[in-house]
Amino acid sequence: MNPVWRGLQAPAVVGGISVVAGWVGGASAALVALALGAPAIVAFHLWHLHLLTRWARASADADVPEGRGVWAPAFAAIYRRVRARNAYERELRNVIERFRQAASAIPDGIVVLDAANRIDWANARALTQFGLDLAKDRRRPIANLVRQPEFRRYVESGDYGASVVVTSEREAGHTLGLQLVPFAADQKLLIARDITEIEAVARMRRDFIASVSHELKTPLTVVSGFIETLQEADLDGPRRAHFLRLMQEQATSMQRLVADLLTLSALESDASPVHETRFAIAPLLSELLVDAKALSKDAHRVEVEALDDATVFAGREEIASAFGNLVSNAIRYTASGGSITLGWRVDADGSGVFTVRDTGIGIAPEHVPRLTERFYRVDRSRSRASGGTGLGLAIVKHVLLRHGAELEIASERGHGSTFAVRLPASRVERDTLIAARFANNDGGP
Amino acid sequence: MNDHTNKQFDAEMEAIRSGVLAMGGIVERQLRRAIGALQTDDDDGRFAAVTADEAAINRLQVSIDQQCAEIIARRQPAAVDLRMVLTVSKIVNDLERAGDEGKKIAYKAVETRSEPLTRVRHYDAARALDDAASMLRNALDAFARLDAPAAADTVARDAEIDAAFASILRQLVSYMMEDPRTITPALEIVFVAKSIERIGDHAKNIAEAVVQVVMGTDVRHASLDEIRAEVARR
Repeated sequence: MNPVWRGLQAPAVVGGISVVAGWVGGASAALVALALGAPAIVAFHLWHLHLLTRWARASADADVPEGRGVWAPAFAAIYRRVRARNAYERELRNVIERFRQAASAIPDGIVVLDAANRIDWANARALTQFGLDLAKDRRRPIANLVRQPEFRRYVESGDYGASVVVTSEREAGHTLGLQLVPFAADQKLLIARDITEIEAVARMRRDFIASVSHELKTPLTVVSGFIETLQEADLDGPRRAHFLRLMQEQATSMQRLVADLLTLSALESDASPVHETRFAIAPLLSELLVDAKALSKDAHRVEVEALDDATVFAGREEIASAFGNLVSNAIRYTASGGSITLGWRVDADGSGVFTVRDTGIGIAPEHVPRLTERFYRVDRSRSRASGGTGLGLAIVKHVLLRHGAELEIASERGHGSTFAVRLPASRVERDTLIAARFANNDGGP
Repeated sequence: MNDHTNKQFDAEMEAIRSGVLAMGGIVERQLRRAIGALQTDDDDGRFAAVTADEAAINRLQVSIDQQCAEIIARRQPAAVDLRMVLTVSKIVNDLERAGDEGKKIAYKAVETRSEPLTRVRHYDAARALDDAASMLRNALDAFARLDAPAAADTVARDAEIDAAFASILRQLVSYMMEDPRTITPALEIVFVAKSIERIGDHAKNIAEAVVQVVMGTDVRHASLDEIRAEVARR
C-alpha cells in the first residue's frame, strides 16, 4: 500500500474517534480526543524524523535505525540500499587492495606519480630504494627526494623511451635503472629496477675482452719488435741468442695465458660432473710442497702444517690445480725471506679446510671481493712481472664452484694473507692423525 | 593579489625550492665522486666530471640567488614566504661550499695517490666522508619534507663527524711521530679531513635553516638541546 495512504490512517482514526466522541459526549469530548490524538501523531513522526536526521549525520557506517508503522518500509528501503552499497564498496576495496598487493609483490620499485610528477603511491620496495615515507612524502615532487641529477634531467626531458641509470644514494653500491611509464590520462609509473648485478656482469665482460686483447698485445708487440730487429740488423751470435731468449719468454707467457683461458672456458662450459676419485690429502700436500719449493728457488721458508689426515672425494687434477694456484700466488706475492705455510685440517662440522698462509704484501679489503674476477689485479705491473696471467684465482673459483667448496680470504695489508678452501663435509673422510709425520719437515718429505 | 598572481607566486616559490634540491643532487654526486677518488685508483674520467659539476653548481647558485632577489623585489613576500626565500639563499651558499670541499677532496685524493698512509686515506677518510655525505642527504631530505624533527636529528649528527675528524688527526699525529717522512702526506690528509669536517658543518647549517623556516625561530647558535626543545614545543 502507498505509504501516504498508510500515513493518513492514523489521522483518520483520530478524526473518527473525535467524531464518535463528539456524537456521544458532545463538543468537549471531541476536543479532548483531538487534543490527545493529534500531538501523539506529531510526536511519532517527529521522533522518526529525529532518528533519520541523527543517522544521516552520524558516521558513514552507523546502523540504519528501525522505523515503526508507516516509517518501517521507508527505513527498511534505506537499510537495503546502504547494505548493497557497502557490499559494492567492499568489493571495490578488495579489488584495489589486491592490485596494491600485486604491485607490492613486484620485486622492482614502483612509484605512482601524478601529472606534476609528485608522489602518489609507492610499493614497499620503492620505499626502501628511495628512502621514502608515504605519510610525509605524498604530493611531494619525486625529483626533490630522488635527487640524482641524471634522474631530474630525465624527468624534465619528457622523453621516457629509454631508462636512466643512477647510483643509489640510499643503498650503497647499488645501481638502479629508472624508467617512467605514462598511464591513464596524465599519471606516470616510475619503475626502479636494481641492475647492480647486470651492470657488474656487463662491466666484467667489457673488462675481460679489453684485458685479453691487452694481455696478448703486450708480448706480441715485443716479439714483433725483435723479429723486425733480427730481419734488419746483422747481429752477432750472442746478441741473436739473447733476443731469441727474450722472444721465447714472451711466447711462453702467451702460451700460459692461452692455456689458462682454455682451462677456464672448459671449466665454464663443461657442465658434466667432475671426474671424481677418492684420494688421500697427505700425498697431495707433499706434491704441493715440492712444487712450492721449486717455484720459490729456496727464497722462502715453506712448511706444511697438517693437523688431520683425510681422504677426499673430488676431481684430483682440478683440486690439485686450484691448490697449486693458491700456493704459487703466495710465493709470487711474498718477498724473499718470507714464509709460506700450507695447512690442512678437518673442522668439527666435518668440512675439510686447506689453507695457504703467507707473510707477503697482503691485500687491501676493497680488492678482496673482486680478486676472483678474471684479470683483476691489485697491482698490474707486479703481477705481470712475476709471471701471473691474472686468471689463477678465476680458475680456482670455478674449480671450487664445481665441488661445492668455498674460498675464504683473510688478509691485512703488509701482514700477509690467508687463503682457505673449505671442502664440504660430504667430500671429506677423516683419517688418523698425521701431525707427527709433517712435524719439523723443513727438509721436505 | 588575484588568483592568477597567487598561482604564479606559488610556482615561483616551488621553483626555488626545487632549484635548491636540484643543486643538492649535484653536490651529492660530487661527494660520491670524492668518496670514489679516495677508495679506488682508477679514474674513469672522474677529474673532468668533478670540474664540470663544480661549474654547474656555481651556475645554479647564481641563478637561484637571482630568483630569490627577484621574488623579494617583485612580490614583497611576507612571513613564511619571506622566511623561505631568505633560507633558500642561505642553503644555496652552504651547498656551494660543500660542493667546493668535495671537489678539493677529489683533487687531493688524486694528488696523494702514490703516497703511503693509504690506510688513513682509504678507510678512515672515505668512511668519514660517507658519513658527512649521508648527513647532507638527511639535511636535504628534511628540507624537501620541511621536517623539523628530522632536521634537528641531522644537527645532532655533526658531533659524529667532528669526532671522526679528531680521530683521523690523532692517527696522523701518531704516524708523524713515528716517521717524519710521513709528515708531508699526512698534512695533505689533514686538508682532506678538514674538508670533510667542513661538509659536516655545512650540512648542519642547512639543517638549522630548515628548523628556522619551519619553526620561525633562529636556532643558529642554539645548543642541540635548545633546538630539540624548540622543535618539540610545537
